[in-house]
Amino acid sequence: MFRSEPPLIVRNLRKEYRVHGGPPLCAVDGISFEIQKGECFGLLGPNGAGKSTSMNCITGFYQATAGQIWLMGYDVFREPRKARQSLGVCSQEDTLDSDFTVLDQMIRYGTYFGRKPEVVKPRAQALLERFGLGEKSADLVESLSGGMRRRLQVARALISDPEVLVLDEPTTGMDPEVRRVLWEIILECRARNLAILLSTHYMEEAQRLCDRVAILHRGKILDCAPPQELIARRIGEEMVEEEIRPGVRWKRPSNLEDVYLKLTGKHLENGSEA
Amino acid sequence: MTVLGAIRCVWLRHFDVYRKSLAYGLVTTFAEPLLYLFSFGFGLGSLVGTVQLLGIELTYRQFIFAGIVGQTLLFQGFFEAAYGSFVRMYYQRIFQAIAVTPITLSEVLWAEIMWDASKATFSASVVIGIGILMGDFSRSGALAAIPLCFAGATLFAALGLLVAAKSRTIEEISYPQYLLVFPMFLFCGVFFPLSMLPRYLQWLAWGLPLTSIVSLMRTLTLGTPLQPQGFIVITIWLAVLVPWSRQAMSRRLIK
Repeated sequence: MFRSEPPLIVRNLRKEYRVHGGPPLCAVDGISFEIQKGECFGLLGPNGAGKSTSMNCITGFYQATAGQIWLMGYDVFREPRKARQSLGVCSQEDTLDSDFTVLDQMIRYGTYFGRKPEVVKPRAQALLERFGLGEKSADLVESLSGGMRRRLQVARALISDPEVLVLDEPTTGMDPEVRRVLWEIILECRARNLAILLSTHYMEEAQRLCDRVAILHRGKILDCAPPQELIARRIGEEMVEEEIRPGVRWKRPSNLEDVYLKLTGKHLENGSEA
Repeated sequence: MTVLGAIRCVWLRHFDVYRKSLAYGLVTTFAEPLLYLFSFGFGLGSLVGTVQLLGIELTYRQFIFAGIVGQTLLFQGFFEAAYGSFVRMYYQRIFQAIAVTPITLSEVLWAEIMWDASKATFSASVVIGIGILMGDFSRSGALAAIPLCFAGATLFAALGLLVAAKSRTIEEISYPQYLLVFPMFLFCGVFFPLSMLPRYLQWLAWGLPLTSIVSLMRTLTLGTPLQPQGFIVITIWLAVLVPWSRQAMSRRLIK
């Protein structure tokens, strides 16, 4: 791979699901994008927009129906081992290994990347400290709160010192304080030159963290640009007036929610009609 | 990392979990075959006396010892794979977590089958060891039976993995457990010679893999005449179940 080549390239990705007794369901319909080093790229859309399916194809877990994905110059479907060597993944579901303690599972996960436990251990300890989980090292996952489990899952994604980080709705269900801690960590990763793919349905999160955002709707990218540029292009710089409850109207700055609403006629949070 | 290195890595994960809860692991691995062994081998064995099998006279303890080896492979291989892999796949999502690292899902599933088979073989080897110590098994024949144990354990592990892949809930594993595993346990020659069954049931029993495993086990450990169809039956079951189980689990996980 040439050094200037983006760490993650997605070209014409299409994914259809088999449907028993019916035509295939197209979850991702020909999306293309690339992510540069030190860039946080957001996939923004409600549940069912195709975010997680795209993520699962990018990690090579799902086979794409069509299209190509290159991670650090390796085709993720043809050379999954090489491609994933530089990949850290925090999936939407809790995939922590409940048979191990917090520290042990970090070390165990590192061995899946071909690292020796004694080499991984110092990094695991440092990551746990950074994520505020140092005191929980000897505890089983079961004893952790939901926020701690999520942080541990992100910490585990970083154990192999990846160059591409895939975060599938990492802050869903977190309280605001814990969410901010995770935001800081994501920004740190970006500062350390990681290419980050972040899926979220929180517009504030996308606006704060992402250098560029792709608006995903029914498997297609409707628009892709830096958040402020998207807002300026689709809504304009002006304030937006909205009725927050019957008879009460207020003005606020326009945001990505307005962009999404304008493009699709639906709200981001739950995909309901405007 | 090579394919074998990747499989070993996941296998070691399962072994580490087993090692961490060693007391539980040892009880679940050995208690059951040993209980069967002492109950049927020593208890019932003293009542029955001898058994005629293919022209050879055996004590009932000798007869049942080889059967219990087969039963151990069936229960340990099937239950670890069916319930264990269902928990790892559905509740813990361990397969999914590992399959986004440099280790592929195919390797994760090989490791699953190999782990379940290793554990069952380990368990059956202890029964074989007791058979040797008691003087019921020929030492050289019993050692030669270890590869057969591993083949049988792999077969039942693949059956368990297939059941886990096809079960929507953990409760659904009970269907094949009661309708296939327990009938195999009761009618495949573990407790009595197949010749005591009606002819059609003998044919049915020979279609099931445990009959072949038990028959070959008795040939190796007790010197009973070889029933070569056993090799064919085991080979066919292995050739069908291993790829089928892996494909079914892959389809379950990858939409």
